[in-house]
Amino acid sequence: MLNQNLIISKMKERRTSGNFTQKVIFCFAMLVFFAGTVLAQTKSISGVVKDASGETIIAASVIVKGTNIGTVTNIDGEFKLNVPANAQTLVVSYVGMKTEEVKISGNVINVTLTDNARMLDEVVAIGYGTARRKDITGSVASLKADALAAIPVTSAIEAISGKLAGVQVTTTEGSPDAEVKIRVRGGGSITGDNKPLFIVDGFPVESISDIAPSDIESMDVLKDASSTAIYGSRGANGVIIVTTKSGKEGKVVVNYNAFTSWKKMANTMPVLGASDYAKWQYELALLKNNGEADSYEKFFGNYEDIDLYDNVPTNDWQNLVFGRTGFTFNHNLSITGGTDKSKFSFSFSNVNDKAIMEMSSFRRDNLTFKFNTKVSKTVTLDFSSRYSNTKIYGGGANEQREVSSADSRLKHAMIYTPFPIKDLTSESGASDDTEVGNLYNPLVNLSDNDQQQFRKTYNMAGSVTWEVFKNFKAKAEVGYDDYSNKNNRFYGMTTYYIKNVPSSTNQNHPAVILTNTDRSTIRSTNTINYDFKKLLSEDHNLNMMVGHEYIWQQSGALTTTVHGLPTGFDSQTSFNLTTQGFANSISNFYDPDDKLLSFFGRANYDYKSKYLLSATFRADGSSKFSAGNKWGYFPSAAAAWRVSGEDFMADSKNWLDDLKLRLSYGTAGNNNIPSGQMTQSFESKTTTWINGFGSYWSASKIMANPDLKWETTITRNVGIDFSLFNSKLSGSIEGYWNSTVDLLINFPIPGTGYDSQYRNMGETRNRGVELSLNWMAINKKNFGLNFSGNIGFNHNKIMSLGLMDDFGASSGWASTEIGVDYWIATGGSVGQMYGYVSDGRYEVSDFKEYNATTKKWILNEGVADASGVIGALRPGSMKLKNLTEGDNIVNVDDRKIIGDANPLHTGGFTMNGRLYNFDLSANFNWSFGNDIYNANKVEYTSTSKYQYRNMITEMESGKRWTNLNADGTLSNDPAELTALNANTTMWSPNMDRYVFSDWAVEDGSFLRLNTLSLGYTLPKSVLNAMKISNLRVYATGYNVFILTNYSGFDPEVSTRRQTALTPGVDYSAYPKSRQFVLGLNLSF
Amino acid sequence: MKNILFKSLFVLTLAGVISSCSDVIEAPTKSSLDENVIFSTPVLAEGAVMGIHQSFSETNSYRGRFIPFYGLNTDLEWWNSSENTTDDRALLMGYNPIAGSTQMNTENNAWAKMYEGIERANICIRGLRSFGDVENNKELAQLLGEALTLRAFIYLDLVKAWGDVPARFEPLTTETLYLPKSDRDVIYKQIIADLEEAAGLVAWPKENAATQSTERVNNAFVKGFLARTCLYAAGYSQRADGSIRRSNDPELAVDKMYKKAKDACLDVINSKTSTLGSFEQNFKNLCQDKTTTGLESLYELPFSDGRGRVLYTFGVKHKTVDKYTMQAQGGANGPLPTLFYDYDKDDIRRDITCVPYYWDGGVKVSDTQASGGYQVPNKLSQWYFGKLRYEWMSRVVTSTNDDGLNWQVMRLADVYLMAAEAINELEGPGAAAPYLKAVRERAFPGNSAKVEAYMASVTASKDAFFKAIVDERAFEFAGEMLRKADLIRWNLLSAKLSEAKNNLTALANRTGKYAGYPDKIYYKTAADGESLVIYGLEKGHTDAEGAALGYASSKGWFVSDGVNTINDTKINSLYLRNPDERQFWPIWQVFIDASNGTLKNDYGY
Repeated sequence: MLNQNLIISKMKERRTSGNFTQKVIFCFAMLVFFAGTVLAQTKSISGVVKDASGETIIAASVIVKGTNIGTVTNIDGEFKLNVPANAQTLVVSYVGMKTEEVKISGNVINVTLTDNARMLDEVVAIGYGTARRKDITGSVASLKADALAAIPVTSAIEAISGKLAGVQVTTTEGSPDAEVKIRVRGGGSITGDNKPLFIVDGFPVESISDIAPSDIESMDVLKDASSTAIYGSRGANGVIIVTTKSGKEGKVVVNYNAFTSWKKMANTMPVLGASDYAKWQYELALLKNNGEADSYEKFFGNYEDIDLYDNVPTNDWQNLVFGRTGFTFNHNLSITGGTDKSKFSFSFSNVNDKAIMEMSSFRRDNLTFKFNTKVSKTVTLDFSSRYSNTKIYGGGANEQREVSSADSRLKHAMIYTPFPIKDLTSESGASDDTEVGNLYNPLVNLSDNDQQQFRKTYNMAGSVTWEVFKNFKAKAEVGYDDYSNKNNRFYGMTTYYIKNVPSSTNQNHPAVILTNTDRSTIRSTNTINYDFKKLLSEDHNLNMMVGHEYIWQQSGALTTTVHGLPTGFDSQTSFNLTTQGFANSISNFYDPDDKLLSFFGRANYDYKSKYLLSATFRADGSSKFSAGNKWGYFPSAAAAWRVSGEDFMADSKNWLDDLKLRLSYGTAGNNNIPSGQMTQSFESKTTTWINGFGSYWSASKIMANPDLKWETTITRNVGIDFSLFNSKLSGSIEGYWNSTVDLLINFPIPGTGYDSQYRNMGETRNRGVELSLNWMAINKKNFGLNFSGNIGFNHNKIMSLGLMDDFGASSGWASTEIGVDYWIATGGSVGQMYGYVSDGRYEVSDFKEYNATTKKWILNEGVADASGVIGALRPGSMKLKNLTEGDNIVNVDDRKIIGDANPLHTGGFTMNGRLYNFDLSANFNWSFGNDIYNANKVEYTSTSKYQYRNMITEMESGKRWTNLNADGTLSNDPAELTALNANTTMWSPNMDRYVFSDWAVEDGSFLRLNTLSLGYTLPKSVLNAMKISNLRVYATGYNVFILTNYSGFDPEVSTRRQTALTPGVDYSAYPKSRQFVLGLNLSF
Repeated sequence: MKNILFKSLFVLTLAGVISSCSDVIEAPTKSSLDENVIFSTPVLAEGAVMGIHQSFSETNSYRGRFIPFYGLNTDLEWWNSSENTTDDRALLMGYNPIAGSTQMNTENNAWAKMYEGIERANICIRGLRSFGDVENNKELAQLLGEALTLRAFIYLDLVKAWGDVPARFEPLTTETLYLPKSDRDVIYKQIIADLEEAAGLVAWPKENAATQSTERVNNAFVKGFLARTCLYAAGYSQRADGSIRRSNDPELAVDKMYKKAKDACLDVINSKTSTLGSFEQNFKNLCQDKTTTGLESLYELPFSDGRGRVLYTFGVKHKTVDKYTMQAQGGANGPLPTLFYDYDKDDIRRDITCVPYYWDGGVKVSDTQASGGYQVPNKLSQWYFGKLRYEWMSRVVTSTNDDGLNWQVMRLADVYLMAAEAINELEGPGAAAPYLKAVRERAFPGNSAKVEAYMASVTASKDAFFKAIVDERAFEFAGEMLRKADLIRWNLLSAKLSEAKNNLTALANRTGKYAGYPDKIYYKTAADGESLVIYGLEKGHTDAEGAALGYASSKGWFVSDGVNTINDTKINSLYLRNPDERQFWPIWQVFIDASNGTLKNDYGY
């Protein structure tokens, strides 16, 4: 609904500027109506059609009521019509405006149409069909092409961000191919993937990132079960229906859109400069080695010469790695056209994106073709094909299927030595266990983790619709979808992988893993639709649809692992010359098929458009469950009452345009687990760990569960749609209560012999309220302004975890140093962070004395001892709260819930304005009340077991606790230490391991001006001379500003996504950029 | 054209409708095989048995956690950085472990991987019994025996480290997913029966293709391991109620168990399928990946060249990469300083077991090659095990984290000493003496008078002989991680560790039996440019004599800057809590949490 204002403003443009499409409509309407003109006893009438602002309307339809006699207005809004002498009424209509009926009196009839802002006739995709917005009983949010076109984006999902109530869109990091997490009303699963079902032109697909935004006609998000139940088994997390553009009748139209953008890293984190770094290294060397400086002197020289580092030039690694100016060029050409019998559309899009990170770029080509023809009066054929080819270069800043978090890239840009140090290279501490471990030149680290991804998708579908008899339509669709992904991963000399995974002879030689994934899906759908128009009186409308669908997906992966490539080979050479290495394994793995057989039906009934009822039922049989559990049944029902249609509401007509109450209840399912979980299968795997054996057989690490069944979500939804003051203010309010039962959980069962097992256990609940509003503040001829906004509150609660009360999950960014840092408990929600409570630092007064013989500081009685977590304590050590009674020791029992990744509410608002030929729009989005687990901050401010790493300025001299006397010795004198640290605020970074405390949990609330766009449409007069029907140029700023208290790079982040249990971790995310876009839209 | 399209779509649709019966939603797995195929085909079944080894090699399994950590600290061995008493490793090995240990409390830790290995063994055993025709197929019989033995091997380690643990002897089902702990006696009885069955299935060393290598289970190992299991089963250990006692189960009574152990050991010795050979050669063979059976080694965990942290943890330290290794590691664990001084100076095992130096000064030439390297004396408080040395290896380790040495599970000397111990218990020292003597003679080659005198003194009584066994196992197996379990089963853990602390104090102060050593050591590099010549380690050496030698360097050994080089912090870190209260590790918190309430930690945790 939010897009209405946009659409309307577009329409205005059309009316005023004589948009091309309009001309087409005009021509066609002329043709159609010309043919229908009856030369009988007639009189001639004429007139002008205008809108409320007095602007003439081109191509408005003017029809004599009850006949097919009519015409359309010309370019000046004028019409001339010969009408039968007895004609009484003219019906004047125009898309997007209220249809007027005018009495024919006299020969000149001028008509003024008013905006129909509610767009009740807007068509919404509801699954296996469409419906008019006004007839909808469920909860559906929509975004139309105009809204998408107004914002230049390279990925369709970006366009939804902040635009649809109850749809939370999180771009997990800043890379060009970053995963975008979409949650519709929170999502019910715990470990499962809560991603909604994507349907593109009827076809279920894994992702819509490979679809060019310019090809999209509309995106409809089905939110409650009454709308999703038609997708039965897979609708539990919402359904996003993407409809791509089809051909239109008329002469051939060519559209060309192009934009180009420049981008820079949006934010940096300052690190210690050379002299402070050297000073800290000296203190750390003393702290780590009981006051001996050997490990400092080895690399830095004598302490007396430390001032030599004051003027050493430093490398700004963040700038060297992420600092380049990214450049994107995106263009799209589409050609559409057709006759009343056949229509076609063709489009080509290309994106070329050089990202801000070195070695990182992105390219995508899309080709689509659609063809539609009426074979006979009763038979229509549709054909469509889509092809996309995506190439992604560069390894990104981290990866989900990592061998070790040691290979995460961002950290090297932060912690690497600011200046080159002789001998302090990766080799001087190559083992991950030593103090110098993992200290690699960030650029080398980048090229050593290079990756290329080549993704191709093609999709072909054909359908035939046969109107067997009046209002009875049978439709058969067959489609084929093919996806192939080629992933080339390179492991260079500095990676953990090549030091640990290959057999000894091939260690310390580059390695590549080439993975070719193929997936093909065949879909056959047959539906029968009958509109009971003929059998019922005019007041009753009944429409029924029954259908059947079969989806068969086959997939597999060929993984070739090549070890022992010659040292010195870079990534490209290694990919090209794999024969120079040794095949460690060639694994051709076929997944069990995923088959789904479904039967479904839907009935929609309304009485005078006042009382609306709909019922849906779907039965799904899935190959993922064993006999007895295969079939799931998902019924739903919904009712709506158009209050404004009642007679007793007649008085309010002057201010209330429309008021509708909606109520729905239904179930939807989820089978989003890997295939083949019913029986324990024996798999053959490669090994480099056992002498004399290259492979072994074992049961998979996930234990089979023959008792698996469908996860079911029960949705209850109430909604009110309203439109007030001649549609100046419209909107809707919805409330929902979703319960998900028999959750499919990938449940950890460590210690039993397997790692995990899929189970149906537990229950979650999502409750929430959504509100969207649209206010057309000003709507004058040359000046318009409107606002729209939406907000969604969602509260997720785990009602039950079956057998257990709670369990922990580990995000694993610090390997094993931190362990469990998320806690999943009954009564809580997924995303609760679990750790220690920071108590600042140990002050001198916390200690009784320093014992010079044992070289230890002795704590005062009653002061909590955190040495088990932090390491040996001394004044300045990080202090943690002891939460358990009975001891005074901080240990694992003293952790609690310290953060929650779930926002209280998310939303967005948009402002659109126009002034003469200029248009301006600003899109904001926000998230409020969620916490971010700033793992970066922990890593960049604590030493853990490592030495020689740099830190961020959070720990710069003057802020961090210091133990260093001016003479270069460690101070153990209470008074002296107190004096040294009179002005410091932070604890000492020196600790044995990384510690997750509430200090690292930060408020992730933000408000972002996502886009700010200024456009100018060239005047008609200029364009006519150039034979161009429309030309708009615009400039857009992306990520213009962000208001947040978050101290990291960007609060919109979630990088530990290997399990759904650990959302909201900011660890080594690819930094986001700020972008400036210039573009043009051209039609002729 | 349109007509054809229309017709073909119609046909396809029809096909879709017709196929709509229930079996179209069956989807069997593809890239896998059924048990009946795997376990009736020797080459595939062998691969399934290797799946058990895979579990040993997982990062935090035997490879990175159990082998490096279990078995410390004792009266012979400790973690060389144990003075860092806040480190989780110090707690773990210093008898004060916590269930949330950052070293161990992870889902992929040894506990989980051991049960993974057990599950894999259980599946192998079920599969081979169901489909393997082991009566007629010797290859499959060997594999069944191997699976039974490996399962017993894991269980013995579980019981050693955790006491009572869940008993899983069948593949998991939903019903058996969560099991409470089972009394260790139940497990002992099952694995003793399993090993007895395995002894009837597997071949003696060199008897078939599989038993050519010590990396595969052979009958000498099965029987030796049966003996070890019996001795543990009959031995003392801490029970859930806190008491330390032997089993009350009459089946596990000392006489029965020792009889079984004796018979099994004698079977091995009398089979003459393995030979003692030289003490040093056994370890050289281990370092050189020589896995031929028939020598002293009975069984080794078959880590590949690039996997395992045996030398990395237990070997002589190399501070830099050098001509012997591209991996600057070693020396994480080491002998107590007292051990060197406790050996008889003529015992050849002393200088092989206790090394006072590390290697330094190597220079890297390329990614796979380095040059140089020489020995540098370390310090009195930190010694290295010399049984494993990079310089003995026939290949250069290039991996940064793994050395690829096998873990020697059992060697023939153990069988001899177990035989001696069992026979002494059952029949007295006279009958037992030959087996102790065999080991003793090897340690004192060409010194038979000394051996005879020693044998005469220790065979005086059963008790004296038992004490001799306790000592002999110390000198023979130091660094092989047998001591802790031995002390526990003898109920000597606390006593011996307390004695060790006293000895360390005495050594630090050079009093009592440690009197008579000089302050310093005097050393130079030998003519070969790498090995050390040290004066000052033997009793009777003096500083005056040392200084007079004119060696290039000297170093305060017992005393440096006027202070004892072994301080109380170091000595006290041997154990941080009464070892008898902490004979077992706690079950790590993640496994307690994931046990659905069926597991708990006993023993006062």
